[in-house]
Amino acid sequence: MADPIQEEIEQELKKHKILIYGKGTKSAPQCGFTMETMQFFDRYGYPYELVNVLQNPAKRDALTKMTNWPTLPKVFIDGKFYGDTDILDPMEKNGEIEPLLKDAFKKE
Amino acid sequence: MISTEALTKYIQQCMPDASVSVTDRTGTMDHFSVRVVSDAFQGKSLLDRHRLVYEALAEPMKDGRIHALEIKAETKTTT
Repeated sequence: MADPIQEEIEQELKKHKILIYGKGTKSAPQCGFTMETMQFFDRYGYPYELVNVLQNPAKRDALTKMTNWPTLPKVFIDGKFYGDTDILDPMEKNGEIEPLLKDAFKKE
Repeated sequence: MISTEALTKYIQQCMPDASVSVTDRTGTMDHFSVRVVSDAFQGKSLLDRHRLVYEALAEPMKDGRIHALEIKAETKTTT
C-alpha cells in the first residue's frame, strides 16, 4: 500500500517547514520561477529546502496529482500547499506571509 | 510557441466571459504572463482560480507550446 514516492514526499514535508519542489539546486537553480521563489523566502530569513525534481519524472507526476497543480515550483509551508509566487505575492501584499511563517516555525 | 489569440481562445472556451491580456515575457511566444478577469473566479480561492486557468490551458501546456506561465486571476468586482 505504501507508495515509496508518496512516503518520500511525506517525509520531506515533515522535515522542512518551507519546502520548494523545483528545478535545479540552491546554488544552481535551473528555472527563473524557482529562483524567484528562493528570492521570495530569502527576504524572510527562515530556512527553506529546495528539492530538485527535474530528473525525477515519477515524483513530479506524484506531486502534480497530489496538489492538482501542473507546474513547478510547488511550495509547501508547514506541510500545506501554497502554489507558487503567483499565490505567495498577493498573500504577502495582504500581510499573510509573515504570521504564517512565524506560526510554522513556532511549533516544534 | 502559441499566438496570443489562440491562448486567449483556450481560456475563453472554459470561461466565456473572460477578458484576457497576454504578455510575452521573453519575446519567444512561449513564456507568458496572463491576466484573466472573469466571474468564474467568484468565491474561489487563489489556488482554485489558478487551477481553472491551468485547466483551460492544459493542452498547449502539455504539448509544450506554452513553456512558462505567470497568472493573475481576478474577478470584475475585485479592486
